[in-house]
Formats: sequence, C-alpha cells, structure tokens
Amino acid sequence: MENKIDVRNLSISFHTGSGTVKAVRDISFSVEKGETLAIVGESGSGKSVTAKAILGILAKNSIVEGGEIIYDGQDLLKISEEEFNELRGHKISMIYQDPLSSLDPIMKIGKQMTEATIINGKVAKKHGKKNFTSKIAELNTAMKAAGTDSAKADKITSELTSVIENGSAKRVAFVQAREYAESALFSCEQLITAQKKADEKLIAEELSFLKERLELSVNENLFDADTVKNLIAKLPENVSEIEKSLEDILDKAQPDFYAYNTEANTETAKALKFQFEQNLPKKKAAVEALEKALPVFNKAELNQNECKTSANETKKLVLDAIDKLTVIKDSAAYTYGSTMDASIERYFKGVTKNPKELRRVEKETAKREKLLAKKGDAPEVIPAVLVDLEMTKGTMLRAVEEVIEKYSAEINNANVHDFDAEAVRLIEWLEEQAERMNSVVTKKYAYDKAIRIMEDVGIAEPRKRFEQYPFEFSGGMRQRIVIAIAIAANPDILICDEPTTALDVTIQAQILELINDLKAKRNLTVIFITHDLGVVANIADKVAVMYAGKIVEHGTVDDVFYAPAHPYTWALLSSMPDLDTEDRLESIPGTPPNMIYPPKGDAFAARNKYALAIDLEQEPPKFRISDTHWAATWLLHPKAPKVEMPQIIKDRIERMKEMDAKEGNA
Amino acid sequence: MDYSNKEVLLKVEHLCQYFGNFKAVDDVSFDIHKGEVFGLVGESGCGKTTTGRSIIRLYNCTSGNVWFKGQRICAGTLSYTNAVKKAKEEADAEIAKLKESGASSAEIKAVQDKFRAFVEEQKKEVAAAKDDHKNYNRKYKARRSKELKSEYEAKCNADKANAKQYKAELDAQLKDLNRTDLVTRIQMIYQDPVASLDPRMTVAEIIAEGLTIQGIKDKQYIRERVYEALETVGLVREHADRYPHEFSGGQRQRIGIARSLVMNPDLIIADEPISALDVSIQASVINLMNDLRKQLGLTILFIAHDLSVVKYFSDRIGVMYFGKMVEMASSEELFKHPLHPYTKSLLSAIPLPDPHYEKKRRRIRYNPTLAHDYSVDKPSFREIAPGHFVSCNDAEFEQYRKEIEG
Repeated sequence: MENKIDVRNLSISFHTGSGTVKAVRDISFSVEKGETLAIVGESGSGKSVTAKAILGILAKNSIVEGGEIIYDGQDLLKISEEEFNELRGHKISMIYQDPLSSLDPIMKIGKQMTEATIINGKVAKKHGKKNFTSKIAELNTAMKAAGTDSAKADKITSELTSVIENGSAKRVAFVQAREYAESALFSCEQLITAQKKADEKLIAEELSFLKERLELSVNENLFDADTVKNLIAKLPENVSEIEKSLEDILDKAQPDFYAYNTEANTETAKALKFQFEQNLPKKKAAVEALEKALPVFNKAELNQNECKTSANETKKLVLDAIDKLTVIKDSAAYTYGSTMDASIERYFKGVTKNPKELRRVEKETAKREKLLAKKGDAPEVIPAVLVDLEMTKGTMLRAVEEVIEKYSAEINNANVHDFDAEAVRLIEWLEEQAERMNSVVTKKYAYDKAIRIMEDVGIAEPRKRFEQYPFEFSGGMRQRIVIAIAIAANPDILICDEPTTALDVTIQAQILELINDLKAKRNLTVIFITHDLGVVANIADKVAVMYAGKIVEHGTVDDVFYAPAHPYTWALLSSMPDLDTEDRLESIPGTPPNMIYPPKGDAFAARNKYALAIDLEQEPPKFRISDTHWAATWLLHPKAPKVEMPQIIKDRIERMKEMDAKEGNA
Repeated sequence: MDYSNKEVLLKVEHLCQYFGNFKAVDDVSFDIHKGEVFGLVGESGCGKTTTGRSIIRLYNCTSGNVWFKGQRICAGTLSYTNAVKKAKEEADAEIAKLKESGASSAEIKAVQDKFRAFVEEQKKEVAAAKDDHKNYNRKYKARRSKELKSEYEAKCNADKANAKQYKAELDAQLKDLNRTDLVTRIQMIYQDPVASLDPRMTVAEIIAEGLTIQGIKDKQYIRERVYEALETVGLVREHADRYPHEFSGGQRQRIGIARSLVMNPDLIIADEPISALDVSIQASVINLMNDLRKQLGLTILFIAHDLSVVKYFSDRIGVMYFGKMVEMASSEELFKHPLHPYTKSLLSAIPLPDPHYEKKRRRIRYNPTLAHDYSVDKPSFREIAPGHFVSCNDAEFEQYRKEIEG
C-alpha cells in the first residue's frame, strides 16, 4: 500500500507570555491510502495542533521545532504559502468541530459550496498544464538519452502528447456530459414530485432546467443531438420515459479515449529503464558521499562549515540521483535537501542562542532569589527557550540514513524493477494531468455538482437549500454542508477535527455513516480527531492515543480496544460508562501537566496509579507488542512487575468477546 | 433501586410550554420520588431543557401543573380556556339542533345553564391556578408552619419536660421556613461551567450569592457554609478566594455544584452537567454526583443526551421527542424493552467502544409519519407494563403489549 501521509518526529511549540508551550513532542505516524487513523486524547494533548500542522494553519506564535510531514514528495512544514494553496481544499480538506464557525453567516450556502469548486478548477487547470508539459519534455529527453533516435523520440512524444491531449479533452467532455445527464436524471425525479404536487411554478422551473441539462449532455459518445430532441419533444408528459432512457445511457460502458501506439509504452519503459540504470552509479556515488558525511553529523560538537559543505555536496548528489520520471514521490530523497538545510540552521542557531538563554535564566533566578529573601515574593522566571541540539542532530542523522537505506535498496534490487508497470503508471499520470488541464468549471457545472453532492450527503430538497443561509439549517444539516464543501474538490485526505462532538447521538450516527460511506466511495484517507472512544470504534482502522504531546499507544483498532497496554488508554476506556457499566467509574485524578514545564520521564506518571519509580526518571521507549501495535510504557519492560489492566476494562473486553463469539456462531 | 413507594417530591401534570405557536413542551407528565434520579433524554430542541426551566419557574408555563412538596408551584390556564371554548362550541351546536327540532325554550335554557355553570367552574379553576402560581410561597409557608406547630404541640403533649427544647427547634424551623422561597429548594446545575460562573466574582462570592439574597447577614455563618459546600464537592477551603479562571473545567463544574448545594436543595435539575467537560473529568463529576446523592439523599432531574451516561446514572428515564414524552420506564426496562420506535432509533445510535460491534451496528431510522398512523386513532400516554409508559394508540397498545410479553 501507498503511504499517503507520513509524519515523522514532529515537534511543535508555542511562544506565550509565560514561556514556550511544548504542544507536540516528537510524534511519528503514517496513514495509508483509504485508511482511517483516529487520534484520541483529552484536550491539550496536541491532537488539533497536529492536524493544523498538516494543513499549514498553525497559529502565528507557533514554532516547528523539527520533523517532517511528507505528502507527495514534499515536506508540508517547509513549503510556501502559495504551494499550500494548491494543496488545501484540493488535496487535503478539513472538517472542524463547530459547523457554525466554519460557515460564513452572510453568504448563501450555494455560493459557499460552489466557491471552492470554481477556484479549485482554475488551480487544477494551471497545474495540470504545468505538470503535463514538463513531464512530457522530461520524457522526451529521457528517450533521447536512452538511445532512441532523436527524430523517432520526437515523433513518439508528439504522438503521445496529441493522443493524450485529444483523448483527455474528449474524456473530460464525455464526463461532463455524463454529469449533466445525471443532473437531468435528478431533475426528472424532481419534476415527477412537482407534478404530483401539481405545483405549476415548480414544474415550469424544473422543465426548463431539464431541457437545458438534456441539451448540455449532448456528446458524441453519450447522447446524440437527435435523441435529445426526441426526448425533449416528449416533455412534459413522458418524464418517466426520459428517466428510463437516461438510466440506460448512464449504464453504458465508458469508451476508451486513449488509443496508443504500443511503441509509446515500450519506448517509455525503455527510457525509464535507461534513466534508472544511468542513475544507479549516481546513487552509488550519493550513498558513498552520504556514508562519508555521516561522521560529520555524528560528532559530539558539529562544525558549521563542515556541516554546510557536506550537506551541500550530498544534497546535490542525492537530488541528481532521483529518477525524474517517477510519479509516486514517497522517497526520503525528495525532502533530504530541505530537511538538512532547516536542521543545520536550527542547530547552529541553538549553539549560539542556548548559552545566552541559560545565562539570562541564571541571572533572573539569582535576582528572584534575592528578592525572595528580601520581600518573600518575586515574579516567576520565564523558563529558557532552548533548541534541543540532540534532537536536531538526530533529525539530520536520520535524514542521511534514510536516503542511504532507500538508495541502497534500489541498488540491490535493481534486477526486480518492473519498468513496464511503471511506464503504464507514468502514462496514466499524464492522462490525469491532461484531464485536469482540459477541465472547464463553469458556474452551471459547479452548481450541478454542488446539488449532487448535497444529495450525496443526505440533504433533502437541495435546490431550495442551495439558496438558503447557514442560520436556516439545523446543527446536523450544517455539519453536512461543511462535509459537502470539504469533499466537493475531491480531496485525497480528509482531516476531521471532532466533527461530531457538538452534535446529538442521532445526528452523530448519521454523520458517521456519511463519512464511512464517502470513505468507501472515494477511497478517502481520513485522519479523525476525537475524544469519544465509541466514535473511534466506529470509524477507525488505526488508533493513536496522545497524551501531553506524545503518542503513547498506537495500533489497529482491535489492538487498542481488545488489548490496550498503556495505563492512559486504560484510564480513558474506564472513565466512560457503557450500557452495561454498573461499578464506580475510574476517573483520572489530577490534571494534564503544564506543557511549559514538560515533566521528566513519563508525562502520565503523576496521574497514573500504576506508575513505577523509573517513570519519574526516564522516558519510556516504544515497546513493540505486535507488528501493528506498540505502547510507550515501562510496564511492558520484561523486568517490570506484572500489572493487570483495571477490572472494569477486563470485564468489558470479556463481554465484547462473548458477544462476538455469539454473533459469530449465530 | 425502586423508589416508587417513597414520597412524590415533584409531580408534573400535563405541562405545556408554548412560545407563540411553537410547542416547545406539549403535555408532559411525570413524577419524581424522593431520592430518585430521573433522566430526561432526547435530541437537541426536543424540549428537555425547557421542561427543566418551566419546573423552576424560569418561564410561566402555558398549561398544566407542577407540584413540589405537595404545593402547586406552577399552573397554566390554557387548558381551562380551551375547555371553555370547546364547551361553548358544543353548547352552540346543541342549541342550534334543539331550535331546529322546535324544542321548548326551557330545554334550551337548561343547556345554556349547564354551559354557564361549566364556565363558572372553569373560571374558579383559572382563579385558583393564578392564585397558586402567584402566591404559592405564602400558601406553602402557611401550610407548613401549621404542620410544624401541630407537630410541636403533639411533641409537647407527649413529653412536657423538653418543651423548651422543642420550642427552640420550632423557632429555628419557622425562621428557616420564612426566610426561604420554596423554589430555592430546587437548584440547577448548568451545562457550561465557564459561562455559568461570573468571572469577576471569587468562588466564595459565587457560592454565597444565594445565601446573601436570602437575607443572611452573618458573615461567619456564610463563610462556614461556603467551606462546607466546597469540601463536599472535593475542593479545599483555600479555593474560596480564587477566581473561576484559575480552575480547570472539572473544578469549575464542582463550583457550580457547590453553589447549588449550599442552598440545601431537595431537588437538583442538572442540565447536561457533563457534556461540556473533557473526557477525563467527566468520570470524576459523575462519581461526585453519585456520591452526593448517596450522602445527601438528593433527588435529581438529570437532563442529558449521552445515553450511556443517563443509563448509568438514572433510576428512571423519560424519552422526549419534539416536545412530547414518548416513553418512560425504569432505565433497566427501557434499555431491555424499548417499545416506541423513536426510543429504538435513539438506542441504535449509541456508539460503544467495541470495534466489532460498531462495524456491524445498524441505525434504525425513525420517521414519525411512516411509523405511526394517527389519522383516526389519536395517541395517548399509556402504561404498557407496570411502570412502563408509552405514547401510543389502541392498535399500538396491543402490539406493544404483545412485544413486551413475547
């Protein structure tokens, strides 16, 4: 499976008047395509900050201390605002907790829904064109380099270009016509209801709408003009007949718009193979250089000049060795340069700034102590803001090692590379880009799309609702609108930040059903933030439990619910009653730690009745429980005393297993 | 636990609360016995909160009665005026019919007299309702002081030696009775602990406000009561002089609870007391309320939409849908045998922390127009099994009966 988003060693802090709040501390996770990750924890655990970092909407006073968020070959922490604008909404969408605050109160719902579609349409056009032309040019050069005759290479690429351009134009036209036909179908339903009600005004409106949509759906591959004329002639009586023929047409198979010369495929594969082979020695050189560079970054004290030169040298080599024609950019090589640059800058800033900070704190503490001795009262000292040198160094080392690993793997597995499949993938990618390039988003098109999505998310009478303002909607309906807006641009990744917390049980169940449906329909990758474990059980494939800015337990949903290992997960599970709970609830004593002064050792130790002495001293590492499941608690250490999970959870798991077995047998 | 043989502390009879044409609460009836926790559930906008507020007289109810400690504290008049309207229509129709058939004037007069008598009767009812609604406090005090005095006399007669002590007790009781408004014996806990505490008052001022309004001037006494309340809810004396913003969400909700406890209430209306709290502190607030209930014998009207919590905390549960009570039963019974389709739909929507169950859970949809046929046979609130009430018509009544037996 393909990793959609990869968060590595992310650390984020916030500057505040009384010190630096360490909101997220060194968390890593990845989400695969079509998968749902739920992040659970109480407020202030850093769940929302993580989500906001992915979308690049952190508050102004935030500092990214380190780490990477890798999406499609770019590090989202280092790209510019302009680059982010191309991702937000289009590739990554977010649903917020309070639907009222994410809708504009003085703008009609319809406008808010079509706005994003239209803007994204323009962006998609621009980018599709850029991506397509640059990749074609690269392919051309690669072919020539691979030894294909120059004239032949030109011929192949120009043929490929024209086939894809024409094909995609036809396909886009076809798809749009099809969508208009779908709108016409929807219109038929509306017309039938209107006729039943005998509402003259509505009938007239719907009739003109239907005619228009039928005319718009004329396309050589779908509907010819004569058929449409005949159908329109039958109006207004024979609506059901039209409905029937529309359904038949929509059931028809899609024609193939791309008729390639097989030569294009073989030549592309050849070019890919050549490029790969040509890059092999470059990769070897890069690996060698990186291995040489490792000790430079692994010294007790780094030398600035040495680091910079070595980073610059390796950066060039690594970048050079990248196969330019690859379309899935999940290799660490893409972000190597930006990671190194940022980390080196951070490290040496820390080297000069840290001692100054320490001196300041020392001075102020001395002053405070004097005042305390004199007056018995003195203001608190603002704690030092230090760059974690070791962590930054670790980031650099890891970046180097990752590239070495990746390239070595490619060098070692050079023989098993499937270039034909890659060629197909490349051409498909080109098609996709060309389709984006040729897409035309008109207002009418956006309107139809919005109406269909509103239908999709279960909003009745979408035409009427389209013209209404947010205050005319109930809470559940508003959240549906927000979801509709979020998915209108067909994003890859959907981030849901407590989307059902403000809603009633029944509405919550509806919204969860809706998100589950959309997930299945569109193969969405979802990051779901919540504190309700019932909701997590419903929606998640994987669960990350967060506490005090760290992930304390991570596993599949079955791992976490049937075999929880971290005391904090136990506490969360036992603090809420389910329908069979009768015993006293296990509440979590105390409050979450103040993250200006993150506690030493395990952050949860102070509130944890199972805490060991070592929990107060040393941070627990991640203990692996199974391939998919790990938890950061000393209790899993082989030498730790045997501790059982609380009775209330044990009983519940017992009950769940019993119920499961019963259902399984039945 | 079964509280049905205990004294009825709160009795709500056919309570209606209309805002113009909007029927927020429509014909809701239930009893709460002493020491019981009664849960009220339903989706937002179904009238749970309005019911709570009508009981505590934050609104003037449109129709129906609320009895608290044997005294009618709220009474609406709409039902009487409606009855008069209906009687007038009937009388008119009857008179017209009589006139047509050429009946004697005496017969017509008889009908008219009957109608007039009915109107008089209803007028009296309205006057009584208005009087109770306005003067409930005086009436309660008069009745209660009489009761106390007769108790005292009885005691004195039995045990003359301690008459002096009894007299002192009586005086204290009378003083307490005269000082407090009956409705202050009902206290509320609100949903949002941030919004319900004045940020410019210290905790002590917030908790003592009710006592000060009652006219208590003894600062030492007030202070002691505040400390006592703080300690009851698990806070410490030192917290008294701090401001609300210095507390975490759970502690703030504890302050809210202390504020209502200091009034020594008989009934607490808890309006979604844990919905706005973080997961980890919800449990501690539920545990606290459970402890207080055992210690102080509190009676609680618990309004919430989280069904797992309501089930855990309540003895009996009423389910509301669009202003009407659709089902009422003990919490065990309600979850074991939900009868009304809306209750079934509500129960099927509860997410549970069990992934295998969740992946299979199917929500039952409720559509009132499809689920019931009330075109001919109108529904009413009927007892299907002992203590289990459902809103249904005759046909449904039979069906539910079978369902519960089978």
